[in-house]
Amino acid sequence: MVSADQPSAGDVPSEAADPVDEAALAAVMRVVPLGAAVLAGSAVALLVIGYLAIYLLVFLARGMVG
Amino acid sequence: MTDHPAELHERRILGTELLWAFGVGVLIAATLSVIVFTALTRDINPPSNVERIDPKTLHLSGEFAEQNLGTTVTADGGVTVRVIATQFMFVPRCIAVPRQRRVTLRFATPDVVHGLLITGTNVNTMVVPGFVAQVHTEFPRSADLLMPCHEYCGLGHSEMWATVQVVPEDDFKPDQDGRVSCAQR
Repeated sequence: MVSADQPSAGDVPSEAADPVDEAALAAVMRVVPLGAAVLAGSAVALLVIGYLAIYLLVFLARGMVG
Repeated sequence: MTDHPAELHERRILGTELLWAFGVGVLIAATLSVIVFTALTRDINPPSNVERIDPKTLHLSGEFAEQNLGTTVTADGGVTVRVIATQFMFVPRCIAVPRQRRVTLRFATPDVVHGLLITGTNVNTMVVPGFVAQVHTEFPRSADLLMPCHEYCGLGHSEMWATVQVVPEDDFKPDQDGRVSCAQR
């Protein structure tokens, strides 16, 4: 149960200063795109490998159709 | 004048996004190239045939009359299979085809939309009332293949299937009318 003296997010003024250090943010932002690219690249690479494996080993092996 | 760090970040992110878009473009181009290449060199295409037929009278005369159904070998050696897909069976229930020889499969239906595939091959088409579905293919191996209806066509849909008997060229012997039936096993 929520106690009456527990602080609420609504109590924080919206114009309160962001406590994040700008220098630390800049350092993080330098590596974030690389991580995102590696993650997305790995996912797409797996998808393409799966597609090519089925296309080359299953679809083409089944012969012509038209 | 030096750039604000936020602008620098945005420019860097834009660069990453453009690089990603380029990579995706290369992948799409490569995929389409593979499809076009196999279409041109290995004769693999989506079956495409727009040919109308009257579903109300197709069984009375013409190529889908009962006596013309099944496998026919023409004088020039071409093999054509004609099948009617109807609720809830294929007519005939078994079709014989030669191994490693180009075969033309032609399907029509007098009632509702059906579909079919032949297991282990790339044959896969819809059979729509009013049109003749046509597929060209070659069967690489001798086998008895299942050909089920894969488009729900009514309560008996699950019972609607036929057999494709792929036989070696030596065993594929048309009678004097050029007809070939399934071997009894």
